[in-house]
Amino acid sequence: MKWQRVNNTFLLIPALLFFIFIPGLGIVLALLESVRSGGTITFGHYVDLFEEERFMTSFLFSLTVTSISTILSLCIGLGIVKAFSPLLKENKHKLIVWIPMLVPHFVWAYLVYSLFNQSGFYSNVFGMAGWIDDRSQFPTLVQERKGIGIILTYVWKEVPFVTLMLLPVYTTLSKSYKEIASLLGAGPYKAFWVAEWPFILPVLVETGAILFAFIFTAYEVPQLLGVTSPQMLAILAYDWFYSGTWSDRPLAFASLVLVGLGIGFVMWLLIYFTNKKRMHITKGIRN
Amino acid sequence: MRKLLFYIISFLLFVFPLLFLVYKSFFGLWRWGSPVPVEPGIRAWQVLINEGQFVDAIGASVWIAIVVLSINLLIGVTSGRVFSLSSYRGKSIVEALLMLPLFLPVLVVAIGLHITFIRYGLADHWTGVALVHLVPTIPYSIKMFKTGYERIGTKLIEQSAMLGGSAFQRFYHIELPLLLPSIRSVLFLTIVISLSQYVLTAIIGGGNVVTLSMVYYPFTDTADEAVMAAFSIVFALIPIMLYIILEGCLKFLLPYQHPRGRKNL
Repeated sequence: MKWQRVNNTFLLIPALLFFIFIPGLGIVLALLESVRSGGTITFGHYVDLFEEERFMTSFLFSLTVTSISTILSLCIGLGIVKAFSPLLKENKHKLIVWIPMLVPHFVWAYLVYSLFNQSGFYSNVFGMAGWIDDRSQFPTLVQERKGIGIILTYVWKEVPFVTLMLLPVYTTLSKSYKEIASLLGAGPYKAFWVAEWPFILPVLVETGAILFAFIFTAYEVPQLLGVTSPQMLAILAYDWFYSGTWSDRPLAFASLVLVGLGIGFVMWLLIYFTNKKRMHITKGIRN
Repeated sequence: MRKLLFYIISFLLFVFPLLFLVYKSFFGLWRWGSPVPVEPGIRAWQVLINEGQFVDAIGASVWIAIVVLSINLLIGVTSGRVFSLSSYRGKSIVEALLMLPLFLPVLVVAIGLHITFIRYGLADHWTGVALVHLVPTIPYSIKMFKTGYERIGTKLIEQSAMLGGSAFQRFYHIELPLLLPSIRSVLFLTIVISLSQYVLTAIIGGGNVVTLSMVYYPFTDTADEAVMAAFSIVFALIPIMLYIILEGCLKFLLPYQHPRGRKNL
């Protein structure tokens, strides 16, 4: 029906206006700012970026912390959903698992800090139990160079998000596929790969992509739990953006644009391929 | 057995941290090597309430969250409807574009918009902050309303159209009540995400827009642990309170909200 099509395009206007004027414009302006120098266009800022040792260290550090956090969150989240999906159908159970989503990331970071710092809760418990004699014997888990505290915070905070994303798949996942697989002689391990994995893979990829993009450039948690070196990328970019010298500002733009484009491109590839697969699966079911 | 295991795991991972914060806000610091404090006190909460900036910051945060929520509902409902109920050429591209902010660093958007926002007087003002808070929230809202509309399906809407319902009647009597679960999730998520933004608020607000997260950060260095714990709990309480209030409003606004006896329709 033609009138309906007209009607519907009209409904997209608010979303498109938002997209063009906020994220779209922001990205374009950041991109322009990163190649502008005086009145000319140059990629010099990107060259400068690669000559900065701070950038490379911080890039690698962010990459490590982000990858570990993302993978652990996905695995633990999947484990919880797989083990407890019948229970998680009930609202009260869902709500218990989703408690960490109630508070901001920085609150969770503070919580991790007060539980795991050397005079924190667990250190105290260990001391009372007589396992350690002094608080300095408690391992340094927050504000240390390896980013353990940061990883801990993200994994803890994101596991509920992973369950939120995966639960709908598990509730709609038809049991019969698994039954057929086991009838045909597949063990539980094989049955998982054949009858479950193809359905959850697209959602896992999507969730992982969201987490990765979010953690890579998040500022709040590393600001509370990190150290001055190595820094997560967002901290470095923020420093450059607000540093007294104007010459550092283009570096902030260049670093963030570079990371943004990199992440964006990889995500697009991943989602493009999994979407194809997903279409295949949905069509397969309907036939 | 499985249930027991579930309760143990979720208590340790999810319930205990919250209880720990509550405990800490009343009992204060547990000095290393000394016995567990057992004398509760409401000092931390009093300190918090008497801190002048705190109450103002709640006001600013709540106001921004509500503005962000309203725009989210508008964009979410309209585009969610298009994405689930109609198909046209290029739909998947538009959809992917609108999801893009989820997969890109928000920090890029914030620093990119910074100068433009200054030029148009949006920076250092709550409007700019609210606009930039839309970036991490809108994609989720669109997603949720899309699922909501998929759940409704086209049949009820077509039937109503055949019986002569106008677009508005259809929306009010059919879509809105059935969208309630989506509205609830969007409500909650948007408010929590908006409260969570520190760096976006700091850059665009330039220190002039004082939301709760802006007060929280300097506190982490100085204030005592009991106050920090109490402050942390406030971050969970605000979305819950707002949820209860807005749920009450929805009861009045939406039709068919008297579920007694009709619950299992």
